[in-house]
Amino acid sequence: MTGTTDLKLEVTDVTKSFGNVTALRGATLSARAGEVTAIIGDNGAGKSTLIKCVSGYHAPDGGEIKVSGKPVHFGSPLDARHHGIETVYQDLALADQLSVWQNIYLNRELTAGPWPFRVTRRGAMRAKARELVGDLAVNVPEVTKTVMRLSGGQRQAVAISRAVMWSNEFVIMDEPTAALGLRETQQVEALIRRIVERGTSVLIISHNFEQVMRLSDQVWVMRGGRVVNGHRTAEVTGADLVAEVTGAAAEHF
Amino acid sequence: MTTTESPRKEASSVSSNDESSRGTLARVLTSQEFWTRAAAPVALAVAFVAFSIAAPNFFTAVNINGMLADAAIPILLAVGMTFAVMLAGIDLSQASTLAFASVLFGIAYGAGWGLLLSFLVAVAVGVGVGVLNGFFVGIVRIPDMISTLGTMGLMMGLSLIISRGIPEPVSDPVLRTIASDSLGPFRWNFLIVLMIVIVLHVLLTHTPLGTHLLAVGDSMDASKAMGLRVSRIKIIGYVIAGLMAGLAAVALILYVGSTQPAANTDYVLKAVAATVLGGTSLFGGRATVWGPALGALLLTVLQTGMIMIGVEAFYEQAVIGIVVLAAATLMRGRK
Repeated sequence: MTGTTDLKLEVTDVTKSFGNVTALRGATLSARAGEVTAIIGDNGAGKSTLIKCVSGYHAPDGGEIKVSGKPVHFGSPLDARHHGIETVYQDLALADQLSVWQNIYLNRELTAGPWPFRVTRRGAMRAKARELVGDLAVNVPEVTKTVMRLSGGQRQAVAISRAVMWSNEFVIMDEPTAALGLRETQQVEALIRRIVERGTSVLIISHNFEQVMRLSDQVWVMRGGRVVNGHRTAEVTGADLVAEVTGAAAEHF
Repeated sequence: MTTTESPRKEASSVSSNDESSRGTLARVLTSQEFWTRAAAPVALAVAFVAFSIAAPNFFTAVNINGMLADAAIPILLAVGMTFAVMLAGIDLSQASTLAFASVLFGIAYGAGWGLLLSFLVAVAVGVGVGVLNGFFVGIVRIPDMISTLGTMGLMMGLSLIISRGIPEPVSDPVLRTIASDSLGPFRWNFLIVLMIVIVLHVLLTHTPLGTHLLAVGDSMDASKAMGLRVSRIKIIGYVIAGLMAGLAAVALILYVGSTQPAANTDYVLKAVAATVLGGTSLFGGRATVWGPALGALLLTVLQTGMIMIGVEAFYEQAVIGIVVLAAATLMRGRK
């Protein structure tokens, strides 16, 4: 079960600095296929920088990233995408005035005809987007709506559906429920469970300890640009995690 | 019990239905979304009816065809401007690009290069200025106002330097045909412009590029995250704006029969006015091609109608200015 072949992602000793600021001081973690892996940590712990390295947004200064056992070097988010890694950014990266289906297909439009007479297959894209959203993001009413008319939870569901549409292998989510109310958080968590059931591996950043306990199979704790500890979620309590995140473990336990 | 209650229920449900449908209509009529789409066609219809009543010669085939032909240049500039505005930008250089393109067209034509090559020279000027604008906006990252203000000055100066400010007459049989002959009820120059509008409409609504232009105008961050090449897309938008200015130069030459070295900055005001009237969001990300085309037509109708009811031509600028402010207020939108 725990052989390297089961590891979807292996991050080893990754470092990253921005000018004088060192964001990652050698972060090491892994994510198993078919699981939800969570990263928790305080603001400035390096969580976002780490996943931006994995999603190809930043190039790491040092260390190694392996996807399905193979070392990779991402120059851009497109490179990561070609390796089956999709990212749902915290700001969701949606164009508000475009419709749901246009956002799902943005930069990956279905087209017909030879260049320069290549036209988009609007009907086909709408139908496929409707099918996907109907399967996954049940809270999204209609794919022809512009994104700006959707609620926060619906927007999140669109962004996650888009990621799943293009990769059923590995989806990274940065604080997927940070801006949501209780009900919408539940909807998005249900969506995350659904995509894991479909066989997608998920790496999630969260501030929300309860959510991490509810959703994840594995949790990594980051502090000061390092991954300081990792647990099977079933073997740890929320209180333990709080202590590790704040660095209070030594004093309190 | 039931007999006494049911009619009341029905009555109340009927009245609430009635209310809600009236509510929906009222909501549509007061919604910003409706007016961004409908402002230009509704205003055009109102202006048409009003001028038809006020001026006896307004609603005649001759006058309508004349107005459509007059609208050719404003429509070209307006739809071109739209491609800059949908990127959350603006192209202030259009009028001087037009002037410079017309000067070089005149020189090429005068040197015996023939109509087609001269036409290509004008087109190349438009594309070239567009590339320059796109380069400064998209790659050097100077704000669009400043970039296009700079190219505006540059092109204005170049066309005056090269031409010494003197218009060159251009008399070509093909151009005369396009300017004055008709196919069916419509003049050629209007029909050609109509075709260009249709092509750009298809480009915007039925190609990946169209969606990408709107996406970049809506959110640079989202576009980058989705792997769009934002700088390249911005350059393309400004190239379309410049290209339309180049084509407008040819339209102007066949319209007035000579080059026009002095930039007529009215054109930029009109193009922006038509773009806003056409429901284009000044914050980028939302646009149609037909909207600004109708907006430009509306401005031409206003201009002609005012002259026909005896308003002094001096009022025209002020009216367009008011129209811009009113339209922009009506559609200030959110972002």
